[in-house]
Amino acid sequence: MSAILSAEVIDLLNSQETAKILATVDEHGHPHAVVKKSLHNGGDGNIHLLEILESSHTGRNLLGALWFGRKVSISLLGKEGRQVQIKGKPLKCHISGPLFQRNYVKLRERLGDVDLAAVWVIEPEEVIDADFAERKARQDKERPTLIHLDRLLKETAV
Amino acid sequence: MAALVTLVKNRYREEPSFDETLAGHPGFPRLVALKIDVQRRGVSYTDRAQAAVDPAIHQLRSPYIFGSRDGAIKPLPESLLLRDGTTILTDPTPLEQDPYIVDYLDGEFVLVDNGEVREAVELWSKPAYYGKFTSSGQPMSHIVSARPQRLNVFQSSFCYFWAEDKGCKFCDIVTHTKQQREELGVPNRLRPEDVRETVTEALKESGRFTSLCFTAGSVIKGDTLFDREVDFYVELLQAIGEIFRTKKFPSQLIGSAFNEKQLTRLYEETGLSSYTSDLEVLDEEQFNWLCPGKAKWVGYKEWRERLVRAVDIFGRGNVGTGLVSGIELARPHGFSSEKDALSATLSEAEYLAERGVTTVYIVWVPRPGSALRGQKAPSLDYFIRLAQGLQDLRVKYKLRVDFDDYRRCGNHPDSDLARLQ
Repeated sequence: MSAILSAEVIDLLNSQETAKILATVDEHGHPHAVVKKSLHNGGDGNIHLLEILESSHTGRNLLGALWFGRKVSISLLGKEGRQVQIKGKPLKCHISGPLFQRNYVKLRERLGDVDLAAVWVIEPEEVIDADFAERKARQDKERPTLIHLDRLLKETAV
Repeated sequence: MAALVTLVKNRYREEPSFDETLAGHPGFPRLVALKIDVQRRGVSYTDRAQAAVDPAIHQLRSPYIFGSRDGAIKPLPESLLLRDGTTILTDPTPLEQDPYIVDYLDGEFVLVDNGEVREAVELWSKPAYYGKFTSSGQPMSHIVSARPQRLNVFQSSFCYFWAEDKGCKFCDIVTHTKQQREELGVPNRLRPEDVRETVTEALKESGRFTSLCFTAGSVIKGDTLFDREVDFYVELLQAIGEIFRTKKFPSQLIGSAFNEKQLTRLYEETGLSSYTSDLEVLDEEQFNWLCPGKAKWVGYKEWRERLVRAVDIFGRGNVGTGLVSGIELARPHGFSSEKDALSATLSEAEYLAERGVTTVYIVWVPRPGSALRGQKAPSLDYFIRLAQGLQDLRVKYKLRVDFDDYRRCGNHPDSDLARLQ
């Protein structure tokens, strides 16, 4: 069980105002990135996703990832512009049982007459700070030569 | 005795190991292969696992149409779930037959083989209606049994083929029925009102069930062959249909090979949404040997054509046939090689798929109450190839198997693969 999600990332995951994108690939390597509002902190160190449609492309890709060891990526963009990327792997697919049924009931209370196909459990393996300012500062510090020369010119040189 | 145990254990130990077999099939999901192997070999629960079973939350074995490998009815877990949602329907198996071991370690149930933990498993959740009684006083679990997402209605567990000593050779339906009646008091035939009441109670549990499955032994009586069997189903389906707001509801009937008039009646007069009739084995000679009752009363080719004609009534993707895979290699008249058996089976399955009939299989378990007891099922490699072959046919002919898939049934490794289709 993973415990790499910080309190800040958990808040981002649980906020209704966070944009949440889940990217998966199929067996041919074709990418599929979609908004998944139901991504949330599962409370067990993992991220949970409610998949409503049995015929979902994401659901198929998640299953392929679980069966064949592929990774998935989650991008979060908070209301204030905070950006985080999480890489992980599907651990489990609940299609029945107490967790599934609790979520089925809650989902229908919230959205009305919808179904639930699965509760996916995604284990986060890496959390990457995706804030532009943070990433720029890190690159400037660690790899200062990655720069166009004109930016290094003295003002008097032009 | 020790020598005999060693001999039996070696049945599996002389084969390539699970990992060696799977290495030959890199595109085949390991969890589905594990399901097959567990179904092939059965399970035995350690004392520690049995002590961790909580009858308040775990589903214990309930009446079923077929018996178990140990020939006993014990309060053990009904079955298992893997972490991808794959159901493993398997049953307690004597240790001397070399089953997988279900143990309880570090707070979870695990599958163990050769001293190594292979995978964590979950026990099925006990449905809320288990433990309740119908107004006629029957335990509801004796009327309708549960899978993780399906309700099973075994309308009658008597098969008339057995009355003439022409029961299918792999089947123990009548032996097991007698045992259930004597040891548990399970009724021989269900009353529609008991079934309706039980299904209504079961569906009070939100998010638990997605389909209903009806099956029973063959009933040859009636003006036309099987008319009486159809009467029973129509009566039952109509009683259950009263509780739904739609005319059709997700359901599967696994019955005899009905004629068009009977099928039309089932389709038009009830809420039934799919029809399955099991050929059991896809080869006429084997069928005649292994299913003498079916062969005598209908015949292989007619059984097959009745399935094809059912597609005109129920539609493509709503008609299927089931195989008890492995019996085609049973002694003494089965195929002599797995290669020949696979080729013959897939060729016939393609004939059916071209015509809109999908084929699924269950792993043959040589049950002690059947005529083929004591034999050994084919290799894991064979079952993997067959599962992939049947699924490839569904893809090729754009056939869905929603009515008999991982969720609505859970007993077919090949239709588990349809989750990626």
